[in-house]
Amino acid sequence: MKVGTRMARRGSNTLFFAGLLGLSLPVLFLIFFPLGRLVTAPTFEDLVHAIREADVQAALLRSLLTALGAALVSLVFGTPLAYLLSRRDFPGKKLVEGLIDLPIMIPHPVIGIAILGLATRDTVFGRILEWMGIQVMGTYAGIVAVLTFVGLPFFLNTAKAAFESVPERLEHVSMGLGAGSLSTFFRVTLPLSWRGIVLGMVMCTARAISEFGAVIVVAYHPMLAPVLIYERFTAYGLKYSQPVAVWLIVISVILFVAMRFLSRPVRQW
Amino acid sequence: MKKIGFILSVSIFFLFIHFVTSYAQKRPEGKLVVFHAGSLSVPFAMIEKAFEEKYPDVDVLREAGGSTKMARLISEVGKPADVMAAADYTVIDDLLIPRFTDWQVRFASNQLVLCYTSKSRYADKVNGRNWYKILQEKGVIWGQADPNLDPCGYRALMVMQLAERFYRSPGLYGRLLASRSEAAIRPKSVELISLLKTGNIDYAWEYLSVALQHGLKYVRLPDEINLGNSEFDSFYRLAKVKVTGRKPGTWTVKTGKSCTYGVTILKDSANKEAAVAFVEYLINPEGGLRILQESGQAPIIPCLTGSVQMYQALPDVLRKLVRPQ
Repeated sequence: MKVGTRMARRGSNTLFFAGLLGLSLPVLFLIFFPLGRLVTAPTFEDLVHAIREADVQAALLRSLLTALGAALVSLVFGTPLAYLLSRRDFPGKKLVEGLIDLPIMIPHPVIGIAILGLATRDTVFGRILEWMGIQVMGTYAGIVAVLTFVGLPFFLNTAKAAFESVPERLEHVSMGLGAGSLSTFFRVTLPLSWRGIVLGMVMCTARAISEFGAVIVVAYHPMLAPVLIYERFTAYGLKYSQPVAVWLIVISVILFVAMRFLSRPVRQW
Repeated sequence: MKKIGFILSVSIFFLFIHFVTSYAQKRPEGKLVVFHAGSLSVPFAMIEKAFEEKYPDVDVLREAGGSTKMARLISEVGKPADVMAAADYTVIDDLLIPRFTDWQVRFASNQLVLCYTSKSRYADKVNGRNWYKILQEKGVIWGQADPNLDPCGYRALMVMQLAERFYRSPGLYGRLLASRSEAAIRPKSVELISLLKTGNIDYAWEYLSVALQHGLKYVRLPDEINLGNSEFDSFYRLAKVKVTGRKPGTWTVKTGKSCTYGVTILKDSANKEAAVAFVEYLINPEGGLRILQESGQAPIIPCLTGSVQMYQALPDVLRKLVRPQ
């Protein structure tokens, strides 16, 4: 009787996992099939020709640098907030956490319009920006502002989780031994959580490099890669836009693999 | 039994009449996809409403953009459309004839003005005589549509070329281009309006009809350079602008001409009936043309077409409303 139930259990387990795999196939298909078609559609000459064009090179470089810029801004200004949210409880904390996720839900052109509206000359804030000589429309400042807006939730959530994975006990021990809060942060918390923070930057960069709807409202020129791809598609069709799309995917993949590689866990002895 | 038989035969009789009459009437119905220039957005919204009241079974789906871009969506990208209304009929001639259509009807004109708002720098000083000096002033941000995607873009360049000749100021065109901010170039001319209204740019090249429709202040330019008066076509012809061709890296030259809007029905239209009804309404002096006039855009009455062959290629009902060349 015991043998029978064990074998029956193993059989139903295999069936269960077979079912899981079967139901996962459509999802995997949805993700990989269109991308696979896209990546294999352009010919080698198309790809070489595209990457040689100055416009394409400039757009890809701009996308890369502005996305990394947004990640950097998120790092500098988001880390304190992420640490605060991971360690402190305060009234309204749930509200703040909900608001942080708001940028994910807002339609992208609306984000662009909102940020453009910041700089209008008939608001006090707009006039301060004007006095400082900061322009939003069609500038890298405006682009990075928009990209940071959309990428920040991804960085914050990942960094917060990274800080939460560091036991508070260790920080208390450190302070008990005489180190100050700042010293504890840099010498105890950060070394244990920096990989999570780098992952947060990866997520932020990934989100930022693909942004289109918000960017095209704020800045048509200077042109980022997604805007160039869209313009090429509407003006010339698939043949001239697919190669640029492939290059953007290739560069993104290289970037993310590199970032993940650099933050791989040290081999356990 | 007899009663049921009577009712049945009467019902069948009425059903038969209904089908015969509906087939005979061939009322337009279904989806109608209309691509049109951004500058036609406001009047076409009104025309759509009036047309759908007249033909309630038709659902008009409009998509607006730079006319060149919209034409390329048809010719290069293969996006399906029934009607195409461009701000420049030569866009239809260059990109759609003969593969996608055989004719165009010219139904309206327009002229270029320099738009601004009360928030614009030097708004209180700008006029028809000093506009080209103010555009060059430091700190003034002025914009235009992308010449490769929107006729308003290359027309703006033509106005500035003509200004150089008209004001006898050699090098003016070059100087104006140098003062233009690349960030203020947009693919669709009407996008500039939101930038004007939010104070992100000070001046923008727009059509007069658009300025009137959106309540913008504008500087009227002399007829010799505003591309609005066909009597000056021989002067307008002196302006030439290079724009991108069908493939990246190729170019075509656009020659200055008074703004003339054109409309056509695509050969591959999925709903020819509704398309013909729509264009018939549009080019009717009591229908679409009146709406255009009330929206601040001068219609061409009666409508014109390109040649005798083109006139022959028109659908029958449209020929009545178009003057044979």
